[in-house]
Amino acid sequence: MSQFIQQVILGLLLGGVYVAVALGFSLVWGILNIVNLAHGALVIVGAYITWALFTRWHIDPFLSLPVDALALFVIGYGLQRGVINRIIRAPLLFTFLLTFGINLIIVSLLLLIFTADFRSVTPSYSGNGLHLGNVTIPYIRLGGLAVALLLAGALWAILNRSRIGAAILAVGADRDAAQLVGVDLRHMYALTFGIGAAFAGVAGGIISTFQSITPTAGNPYTLQAFAVVILGGLGRVSATVAGGLAFGLIEILAQSAPGLESGYANAIAFVVLVIVLVVRPRGLLGRLA
Amino acid sequence: MRREKLGVLLAVTALLAAACGASGGGTPTTGAPIIFGAAVSLTGAQSKEGALTKQGYDLWLDWINQRGGIVVNGVKHPVEIKYEDDQSTPNLSATLVQKLITDEKAQFILGPYGSAATATDAIVAEKNGIPMVEANGAAQSIFSKGYKFTFGVLSPANKYLTGVLDMAATLSPKPTTIAMLTANDNFSVEVAKAVEDYAPTKGFQVIFTKQYPAAAPEVSGLISQAARLNPDIVMNSGHLAESIAINKAAKQLGLNAKIFAYSVGPSTPDFIKALGADANYVFDGSQWTPQVKYKPAFYLSVSDYVKAYKTKYSTTDDPDYHVAESTAACLAFQKAIENAGSLDATKVRDALVSLDVMTFFGQIKFDSRGINTFKPMVVEQIQNGAHYTVFPLDVANGKPQYPTPPWSSR
Repeated sequence: MSQFIQQVILGLLLGGVYVAVALGFSLVWGILNIVNLAHGALVIVGAYITWALFTRWHIDPFLSLPVDALALFVIGYGLQRGVINRIIRAPLLFTFLLTFGINLIIVSLLLLIFTADFRSVTPSYSGNGLHLGNVTIPYIRLGGLAVALLLAGALWAILNRSRIGAAILAVGADRDAAQLVGVDLRHMYALTFGIGAAFAGVAGGIISTFQSITPTAGNPYTLQAFAVVILGGLGRVSATVAGGLAFGLIEILAQSAPGLESGYANAIAFVVLVIVLVVRPRGLLGRLA
Repeated sequence: MRREKLGVLLAVTALLAAACGASGGGTPTTGAPIIFGAAVSLTGAQSKEGALTKQGYDLWLDWINQRGGIVVNGVKHPVEIKYEDDQSTPNLSATLVQKLITDEKAQFILGPYGSAATATDAIVAEKNGIPMVEANGAAQSIFSKGYKFTFGVLSPANKYLTGVLDMAATLSPKPTTIAMLTANDNFSVEVAKAVEDYAPTKGFQVIFTKQYPAAAPEVSGLISQAARLNPDIVMNSGHLAESIAINKAAKQLGLNAKIFAYSVGPSTPDFIKALGADANYVFDGSQWTPQVKYKPAFYLSVSDYVKAYKTKYSTTDDPDYHVAESTAACLAFQKAIENAGSLDATKVRDALVSLDVMTFFGQIKFDSRGINTFKPMVVEQIQNGAHYTVFPLDVANGKPQYPTPPWSSR
């Protein structure tokens, strides 16, 4: 039994990482209607910033998260305003092509700057954890989950309790109407993308503490963010949280399912995804389009 | 305006061509360049290992061209290596090897990084009748298809972790139980299978085996399961990213084994840099270490090789075994071409079959399948942030630190 509880806890902790990764992805997709294929690359940029601050000045990875957020916000804002904005009204395929290209460029730049060496952030407390009987909760992963939930709360508050959030939602609902009532579209687009990128950066900072990072390590996270958003549903912060936690839980439980080769953990997660799409196309908590 | 520029450009090109022609038409003892082709992973998931492979090839390239090239019947042929980037995608690797042969006129193929890419490249080499010597595909399945043009200089996959078991059997108190984690790629599965077959013959019991998807290193679920069983030995058969993730998860979840041994990863400087003090005590099976004591028949000695590496790449890091085995592939080609006295693909292939030479990397000799089963693997351990060769005893420069202290008292 304690074995099962341990697996559930590990699943939720992993789910927290997926929540952090998917929040920004979901925001950009929901509001701007852009499936950002460079999202994983932005995650890794955040991871490298945390790594650089840790190695050079021994700054605690959790303290460097605001730096990640700020830096990625600036990058995201500039990227949207300068590049992506040019095709914001083009068909979806064009945004795919463009963000795919941006992904390649970011990955290549990272390869040039940081080389392909494997890096990781290993603070002194990385092995500490909460021991409850037979169950262990590593602090560093608990911190990751806490940050993810904080991010989700912050995003919910921005969207539902602030003027900027109202403007962002208005842009998502109807661009032209939003412009008619005086919303500065270009600024709002860039702001939304910037927030999405900032969240990606924070997710990257968390990831650098328990996995190794390389310039290409971001690609799986784009895929996972995509899966989380499909699973949870589009258009609500709570849907992303539910999707992320569910995805993490499925992945870990599939690893320990008796009689099942754990090599299939990913496959099982995606089979569940397909089932959800068939049974409930708008996702677990998504709004009807 | 544009026409003028074009004129200038043409003139410059003509001058350059003339200059090249003048310097290229040397003495009659210099022959046409020999073209080698290699599709290595310069981008993608295996760009690190791909870069190490290329470093190994380039080290030899510089050395041989300083000597004027490979001597074929008294004529020195300079060497060129044409590279393509397979983006860590095995199928693309095969396409690029075909391109190297048809478009770039590669006469010989140096292998890519990884067993998967090597397996697909071997098909292309075979189809074209072009010899390929590879240094980074250790899966025996590559060699079970009866190919006649593919040769591997490295010890096969089944030897990777069995050396650790041989060493563990000499330790006291003797460890008895093994937890085996495996990535589900062909190479890693072979490594794990060999451990499972070999362990009982040495008095070990494998109490936990689990596979995980390759290159998706979320392993906390598996590590927590293994931790419950309290195994004496934790083994991972996978790659660098998974080794780092497993070591981190083991610490986080309190998996305290007496021996941690990973097939691939701990031998690279990255492993120590990424994990710091947590990298200590970890064992790995290594194709080669900078401490081995082989007496080479040609090329550099082990210590000169390490020196040459540090100079060329301006680093204080030692070359890891990926670099050394890649250089060894070039050495096999060089010796085979010299022995054949010809650049004919089939004659060089025949010379590879009968090759038997000692290098800084160890003995290079192929069995009937094309695998170098004659070179032993060594066991390394990380002690105080540095690599020590600890087994077999005749090449070791350190003693195994055993047992590994629990995480809480490090």
